[in-house]
Amino acid sequence: MTTPSPSPSPSGAAEVGGGAAQAGASGAAAGDSGAAPQEVTITLDGREVAARPGELLIAAAERAGVYIPRFCYHPRMRQVGMCRMCLVEVKGPRGFSLQPACFQPVANGMEVRTESPAVKKAQDGVLEFLLVNHPLDCPVCDKGGECPLQDQTLTFGPGETRFVEEKRHWSKPIPVSSLVELDRERCIQCDRCTRFAKEVAGDPFITFQGRGDHTEVNTFPDRPFASYFSGNTVQICPVGALTASAYRFKARPWDLEQVESTCTTCALGCRMVVQSSSGEVVRHLGVDDEAVNHSWLCDKGRFAFEASTAPSRRTHPLLRSDARLRPVSWQVALSEVAGRLRAVLATDGPGAVGVLGGARLTNEDAYAWAKLAKAVIGTDSVDAQLDDGLPAELVAGLPPATIADACAAKVLLFLGPDPREELPVLFLRLRGAVRDHGLDLVELSPVDTSLTDLARASLRYRPGQLVDLVRQLLGSLPPANPAVAAARDRLVAGGGEGVVVALGRSSIAESEEQTVAAAGLLRRMLPGATFLPLLRRGNVRGALDAGLAPGLLPGRQRLADGGAFATAWGGLPGAPGRGARALLEAAATGQVRALFLLGADPLSDFPDRSLARRALEAVELVVSVEAHPNASSEHVDVVLPAAAPSERAGTTTNCEGRLSPVGQKVVAPGLAWPDWAIAVELAAALGADLGFASPADIVAERARLAPLFAGVTSAVLAGTVGRMGALLPLRGRGPDGELGEWPAGATGGLERLDPMAVPGIASVESQGAPSEAGVVRAAGPVVAAPVGGRMAAGDDGPAALLSWEPPEALPATPPVDAYSLRLVAARRCYDGGTAVQASPSLAALAASPALRAHPSELERLGVASGTKVAVRAAPGRLELVLEADAGVPKGVAVLGAVPPAADAPGASALVRAGDPVTEIRLETLEAG
Amino acid sequence: MGALDALKGFKVTFKQIFEPRVTSSYPDEKRPKPPRFHGRHVLNRYEDGMEKCIGCELCAGVCPADCIYVRGADNPPDHPVSPGERYGFVYEINYLRCIHCDLCVEACPTQAITESKLFEFSFTDRNDAIYTKAELVVRDDGKPQQLPWEDWREGDDLLTSGWMRATSPAGVADQEGRRHWSGELGYGSRAPERGQSGLDPAEASPSLELRKEEAAKIPVRFGGRAR
Ligand code: SF4
Ligand code: SF4
Ligand code: SF4
Ligand code: SF4
Ligand code: FES
Repeated sequence: MTTPSPSPSPSGAAEVGGGAAQAGASGAAAGDSGAAPQEVTITLDGREVAARPGELLIAAAERAGVYIPRFCYHPRMRQVGMCRMCLVEVKGPRGFSLQPACFQPVANGMEVRTESPAVKKAQDGVLEFLLVNHPLDCPVCDKGGECPLQDQTLTFGPGETRFVEEKRHWSKPIPVSSLVELDRERCIQCDRCTRFAKEVAGDPFITFQGRGDHTEVNTFPDRPFASYFSGNTVQICPVGALTASAYRFKARPWDLEQVESTCTTCALGCRMVVQSSSGEVVRHLGVDDEAVNHSWLCDKGRFAFEASTAPSRRTHPLLRSDARLRPVSWQVALSEVAGRLRAVLATDGPGAVGVLGGARLTNEDAYAWAKLAKAVIGTDSVDAQLDDGLPAELVAGLPPATIADACAAKVLLFLGPDPREELPVLFLRLRGAVRDHGLDLVELSPVDTSLTDLARASLRYRPGQLVDLVRQLLGSLPPANPAVAAARDRLVAGGGEGVVVALGRSSIAESEEQTVAAAGLLRRMLPGATFLPLLRRGNVRGALDAGLAPGLLPGRQRLADGGAFATAWGGLPGAPGRGARALLEAAATGQVRALFLLGADPLSDFPDRSLARRALEAVELVVSVEAHPNASSEHVDVVLPAAAPSERAGTTTNCEGRLSPVGQKVVAPGLAWPDWAIAVELAAALGADLGFASPADIVAERARLAPLFAGVTSAVLAGTVGRMGALLPLRGRGPDGELGEWPAGATGGLERLDPMAVPGIASVESQGAPSEAGVVRAAGPVVAAPVGGRMAAGDDGPAALLSWEPPEALPATPPVDAYSLRLVAARRCYDGGTAVQASPSLAALAASPALRAHPSELERLGVASGTKVAVRAAPGRLELVLEADAGVPKGVAVLGAVPPAADAPGASALVRAGDPVTEIRLETLEAG
Repeated sequence: MGALDALKGFKVTFKQIFEPRVTSSYPDEKRPKPPRFHGRHVLNRYEDGMEKCIGCELCAGVCPADCIYVRGADNPPDHPVSPGERYGFVYEINYLRCIHCDLCVEACPTQAITESKLFEFSFTDRNDAIYTKAELVVRDDGKPQQLPWEDWREGDDLLTSGWMRATSPAGVADQEGRRHWSGELGYGSRAPERGQSGLDPAEASPSLELRKEEAAKIPVRFGGRAR
């Protein structure tokens, strides 16, 4: 049912006349038939309806427009038949008998009654039984108003109870973590949260205890309720037993408003809705998108909205005077920036200006800033990545793979950061693929990660030796061990056809050259392989596509090719500019005199903190366009306050290159502006006109000038297709730019698969209350969205898109120093980043900044786990707590990249930019 | 046209001179209001002083004029404002919008919000029309607060508690006459109205009598019985 079915037919993602199909019921049936090889017919309440063989009765009925009440059934999890709410009558050899519809696959000729007296009686009984011990806290329960138990009791229940005895009592609510509160009295034992924990997340953090009517759902006494995905249990709990502290008593469902959006916390781009009440965002809910997130969100994406109302939020332009940042008007701030920038341009030319960051921006914002930098200021020293990603040309130029491709790959070669820490929902997708159809996952990593237990082969390499391992895997070096040999045989069979490489940087303590060389080898030796880039930061892919990278223009075009931009923009930088590292190096030596930070925080995020510090200290004018203060703020001369997510509308691009909308629900606080408007005003202060009065103008210009964005007009973005997320470039357009056929895999399906998992407005609506017509709707024939299909790279696509030429020369393997450990520095999900630190519910969860190494290394030093030791590396010395971790191989040490406390030392204090690897030495501290 | 014709025109006037006077000199003199009169709201408290409102927003949700604004919050554990987990931490009614339909009173699960009989509002500042919790919550003796611009008369604050609701708490007819509400500061525990089914007359409140008495004063011409 949920396994993607590869289908060559594009199944016409056409809009179905406004597509008001409630819960995907009616609209879906027509377009689907092509996907299923055959159909069965069942008789549902006397009506013949078509169903897919093997489909569950409850799902088939729902598509036929018959809603069978349910609590425990969730389309993304294995059915358990716990609640018996879905009882229907199915005809068997001995006549009709009651069967749970969520447990019964359809069969040809099956006769089903969903409204007979026996069914009504069963529903009455089940509900009366569920309510026996239910506290009826509805007025104070966060679920009240969108509660499936309330709704289904009203629709299908008896109306009165015969139970007059005292109900069961438990103390409540129990805060099981800083994110989730548990009220055991309200639990109806549907097994959704516990199944999610076991089956989907794989973190067993919640389970059932006790027996009979003393069964309670609870956490393990000896284990914390720690999971990056606990918020999903709140969303899928059909009652108010699990509630989110961030939403607790903030609003009632009937005063929520919502807008569809995309999470920009990491580069995966999970689809969600943003709900607000009284002009304040109160909740994010995951939306089921077949292509991306299968309805799940990680807790960071779900709860980081709290940051936008944090007291530290930037609300006014600030100007440094007398060593302090003081609020000023926009006019003063902009003319100050323009004046000082003009002075720099006059003496040193545009080469002395740099722009760093941009992953926080929407695609339209990024386009406006790219135009400001490249056309108005005239500098090409623009980089959305802080030397912690992959070269933009590689990201855009490798044959692309989607997330669905990765999950359906013959072999998925994963070389990148721990997905659970950096792209959490990707971890769920991969885990699901391994669980459901045994995805052949080969992981290359310097340390144990969350994938190690899932992978068929998890191959270790010491930092700096990735290329060696890849060469062994490709057969150009003898394999070091049988596991490598076995993986090699599966990988190289058929020239890599069906192989997907998930490619990212597993550590920022290594330079990128090993990863780039590995990618080059794989590209050359496995011509059939496709690549899924794993980038850090929200919209980094979109920023690169908008031209926020040296040598590139919007739409994956080389600066040298110029294209339509050379004339339309009235001039382009003459020579390619500097990337982040070169830019900071030039800044440190005084060659760059003005630096714009677009939400970038080089001091915490750039791998080499001392270089970042020297650069920021040396630059005369540092302008930060930011929503929150960060570690670099003390070096900033002018702060221009920017709108945060949910405060501006636009689009974002995820790591696959899928464009999807981000919605605006609230207005930015104080005087904060959207980034595109800041770019426009700054250009005006410099005497130039960017020509944009609204994001729509940007969309129009981009569609006109950049071949990649051809056809991506405001109308397309506002339509079903845009809402569902589209892979670029769009293909098969009609003569007037209208979208016709879409390539397989170009669109995802946005659907409310589980009506109970997107509560709120939908639930209120289903009770007939007026509200903004449900924005979350099944959009067209999405069930059969051909997500298994792969993007045919380049076929009839616009020409002149970037291709990447892998470097010929392989980097030298750095020699091993037996006295040192090699540092692996990776980001953690909860770290010192502003989104986490400014969100009260998340801040407490930030991981401790301890150095982890193999127990034998501790033995060698003669210290116990938890002892503070001295760490020496090329740039300096640090004192850190050392912890033993058997998942870290010998000769390697792991440290979080961005520590939770701003002044706590992170890995960037040990890394020297450009060094192929970071060697550290540990020493015991002198006693006393 | 004779002089008599001129007098004819005054027939009604002369007749009216001998009729009993029904005009009262409002506002010096005010007519007593019926017990279920819908006036300015009060937010009640339990006998122990705790607020009854739990901040559930049901009143705000049902209000057809959209004039109530409520926000809930967690009860501070050491100084709970109301019993239970949640209390109404913001409560505002905009009297420029309220139509005194009393749907809020019907919706309230705790009988926290009820209406007094004060209906004369006149404001010189629109902000004064927005009553906040500070103004709506009853005093420590259970009586509504008298705001500077309000003209309270004897009895306007009487009979403002739970049983004023038109529906029985469970919404079921057999529940009529059963007491489902808890005691209130100032008024204690209120008895149901005499005349409701299944009720011991000694336990009932006399307000039915009161209503009958008031009704008896209504002249025949206005549909009443008084001659
Ligand atoms: S879970 Fe639902 S039925 Fe139970 S108290 Fe909450 S709102 Fe009421
Ligand atoms: S807590 Fe909620 S999701 Fe978990 S078993 Fe109970 S009712 Fe189901
Ligand atoms: S009396 Fe009617 S209009 Fe006035 S606040 Fe209550 S529900 Fe609203
Ligand atoms: S007055 Fe009643 S209905 Fe309104 S919020 Fe308070 S408890 Fe809820
Ligand atoms: S038993 Fe079928 S939905 Fe619970």
